[in-house]
Amino acid sequence: MSPAQPEALAPAAPFRAARGSIHVAGVAKAYGATTVLTGLDLTVEAGTFVTLLGPSGCGKTTLLRLIAGFIQPSAGKIAIDGRDMAGLPPQRRPIGMVFQNLALFPHFSVEENVAYGLRLRNVPETELRRKVKTFLDLVGLGHLGNRRISQLSGGQKQRVALARSLVLEPSILLLDEPLSALDLQLRKQLQVALKEIQRELGTTFVFVTHDQEEATLMSDRIVVMSAGAIQQYDTPPAIYSQPANLFVAKFVGELNEIPGRIAAVTAGTIEIDGPGGRHALPASGLRGFSPAAGASCVIGLRPERIAILPPDADAGGRIALPGTVIERIALGPVLRFILRCGEQRLVAVRLASDGAALPEAGSTCRIAFDPADAQVFEPLAAPAAASFGEKP
Amino acid sequence: MSANPKLSTWAGILLLISLPAPILIIIGASFSDTSYIQFPPEGLSLRWYRDALFDPRWPRAFAISVGIAAVTAVIVTIVSFMAAYYTQRHAPKLATWLELAIFSPLFFPHAAMGVAMVALVAQFGLIGTAPGIVLAHLIVTLPFSYRPIHIALRSLDPDLVRAANVMGASEWRALKDIVIPMCRSGILTSLLFAGIISFDEVTVTMFLIGPNISTLPVQIFSFVQDSATPVLAAISTISVLITFLAVLILDRVAGLTFFVRHDGA
Amino acid sequence: MTETQPASPAKALLLLPVLVLLGLFFVSVFQLFSNGFADADGWSLRYFRQILNRSDYQVIFARTILSSLTVALLSVALSYPIALLLWRLERWRNTLLIVVLVPWLVSLVVRTYGWLVLLGPKGVINGMLAWTGIVHQPLALMFNDLGIVIGLTHVLIPFAVISILSSLLAIESNLEEASGVLGASRFQTFRRIVLPLSLPGAFTALIVIFLASIGAIVTPIVLGGMSHQFVGSQIYQEVMYTFNLNKAAAWSICLLAISFLSLLLLKAIERRLIGTLE
Repeated sequence: MSPAQPEALAPAAPFRAARGSIHVAGVAKAYGATTVLTGLDLTVEAGTFVTLLGPSGCGKTTLLRLIAGFIQPSAGKIAIDGRDMAGLPPQRRPIGMVFQNLALFPHFSVEENVAYGLRLRNVPETELRRKVKTFLDLVGLGHLGNRRISQLSGGQKQRVALARSLVLEPSILLLDEPLSALDLQLRKQLQVALKEIQRELGTTFVFVTHDQEEATLMSDRIVVMSAGAIQQYDTPPAIYSQPANLFVAKFVGELNEIPGRIAAVTAGTIEIDGPGGRHALPASGLRGFSPAAGASCVIGLRPERIAILPPDADAGGRIALPGTVIERIALGPVLRFILRCGEQRLVAVRLASDGAALPEAGSTCRIAFDPADAQVFEPLAAPAAASFGEKP
Repeated sequence: MSANPKLSTWAGILLLISLPAPILIIIGASFSDTSYIQFPPEGLSLRWYRDALFDPRWPRAFAISVGIAAVTAVIVTIVSFMAAYYTQRHAPKLATWLELAIFSPLFFPHAAMGVAMVALVAQFGLIGTAPGIVLAHLIVTLPFSYRPIHIALRSLDPDLVRAANVMGASEWRALKDIVIPMCRSGILTSLLFAGIISFDEVTVTMFLIGPNISTLPVQIFSFVQDSATPVLAAISTISVLITFLAVLILDRVAGLTFFVRHDGA
Repeated sequence: MTETQPASPAKALLLLPVLVLLGLFFVSVFQLFSNGFADADGWSLRYFRQILNRSDYQVIFARTILSSLTVALLSVALSYPIALLLWRLERWRNTLLIVVLVPWLVSLVVRTYGWLVLLGPKGVINGMLAWTGIVHQPLALMFNDLGIVIGLTHVLIPFAVISILSSLLAIESNLEEASGVLGASRFQTFRRIVLPLSLPGAFTALIVIFLASIGAIVTPIVLGGMSHQFVGSQIYQEVMYTFNLNKAAAWSICLLAISFLSLLLLKAIERRLIGTLE
């Protein structure tokens, strides 16, 4: 099951797509009184691996179906390669799709599944054979062409579904949570394989998932969605380090949330009343809102940004608060700490190689962080996405 | 009634055996040597089969029955498929109403159905003709044909059709390449089920026959009333054999548990 | 989320054949009613008056309804042991189902003919009884209500088995075991679990068999003869011998009325009974 080797692929590389851009402008979708998508704008450049990420019900699958043409938008426009797709049925769009349940044709063999779209296009038999072979080789299934679908393993089925869509050389491949049914091991293998194939072919991939790790691992860019709207559209590192709001920060990666109240706002600095008194934080840590004195806010800290010092150590210009180590958990290369600071529980992650210098469970410590690492968010409106991310 | 498990099991076995008993008696009688059916039987012969074969009325009725059953089964299956496909894919809101209408003849007592069909077929001047009988059989078999097809279509994963569409298949191509092959067992069940019902139908059919046309069961019925010649046993045995074969094929293509699945209408 | 494709109006033509068939069915029902409320000279209630007033006709009605009720109850009662057997013997279910389905699908003329052979004065049963010396005069097993009830019950039992088995199969198959493990006796299990859960199937069977029985023609004619008539036998005579379609239609409308009323009644009973058992 090794992913295709790039060297071996090079001569046979079927094509390099220069096409594959998507423009979504003001697209909304409502079913009766229920609004599923609220006026989305999105531009995907050709050749990118884009992931639509969000909790279930956020509208990511609806957006995918709109691009595929299974449903029509209530408002707005979708263009692929600069061509307006309004009114075009799926069979007339330059797209391929891998379905969540794969939707392989059980009454066809592996080869017949891959050949089906080519037959619909009346591709001559010799060229058809060659293409089917090329793409089955690409996904590492060259030797299983005659198998029946029911004789394949879960991972092999994924690869057939992929080959079947890619053989038609679509501008865009849409993938609707295709890995969600697989076990972790296989899933990780296929994530890598998928990414490699995408890079090899240069096809635009639009991948839907609710798994932020998967999204971060595979994507060039991520569209974080919630409640029918796009929360942020950026590269994975930018989304992690510069989240647009508290929802994104909580959904992508782990976040410690410390409630606070804004005391004063000056140029370049904001003063916040929080645990352990008043702290001055740089205004560059503000995420997506302009605070006013007296407003409540949330200070967000990534676990790896929290240092754990001995009780008498010097914090060295960082903000430091007294605390206790509740638990110390070894997770392979990292150590995970659960800390208490007054009423506040915090999660910290440190490298296991630094473990000797770090306190044991039950001991008191100083919890320190650099003010420049703190991000300041507007609290989430009541119930929205309350259940995502681990509560520190 | 089932206080004692052994008692209920034995009662079940006994009653189960009694179901095919009259049919087995007929099959036994068809090989008897005497001109009336008697117990204990005396001698074995095939003379009643020979008599049936050489009396032109029986092969003719048999051929008519098979022809009518085949035509009815094919037409009603196509009609059911078109309707079930259209409502499920394009007008799901209509489905409940359509089903209600399709299943309503089931609540008609057979005798009343017969009189209604006479009135209808007479209107078109088709009494005593094959098209008249086929028309009535289409109405009688419709619910039995619609159900297996409806179930087959409903259990088809809609993503299969979407996948075909994305790969470039028009609705018609997806229908031909994916939907129909995937609903094969439902379609075959409809064909066989409607065929068997049409082949064996008598209560409605007997009002619609004429001097030139009669079906096998109707002809058996008119003979039963007049005489009890063992030729009838021979003919009946052949008709049982046909039904038995159809049930075996049904078992092969769709499995008989279809009849006792609870997901139907 | 299933979306429906925007249909071009031409595709609605797919519905046309079924609508034609259903339309013809409704036309036939309309015809039936306009025939029933008329005689040779036009609109009339003459045949209804006749049917309801003549005492020999009242006997026919009473026989049809009472026999059908007996047949329905008997079929359901006798089919329980068979259905339970098939439910418990999962490994043999398919094979045993053939034993139920083949008799169901064999033409009812053939099955009725089988009973004629069995029950007749010179039939197999009387022959056997005489041969063993139990009786010297043949017993009157047919050309009476007994023959009709035996024949119809046998003809309709397979449907009851199928209907009850469908309900039973909707039950978790290990429910019976679980109840046994919890210490319930076999009878308690049957009464508290199996019976209530199979009741919908039993009621469907009761209704369908009752309707099939009151509308029967072939079996009552063959096994009841002209001395013991059903409504179906009358209808057969009117259509085949006296060619009085108006009177046949009037009889049919009476059958429909009985069906409709019994359907309502049985539905009401079913609702109450299921209510009390739960």
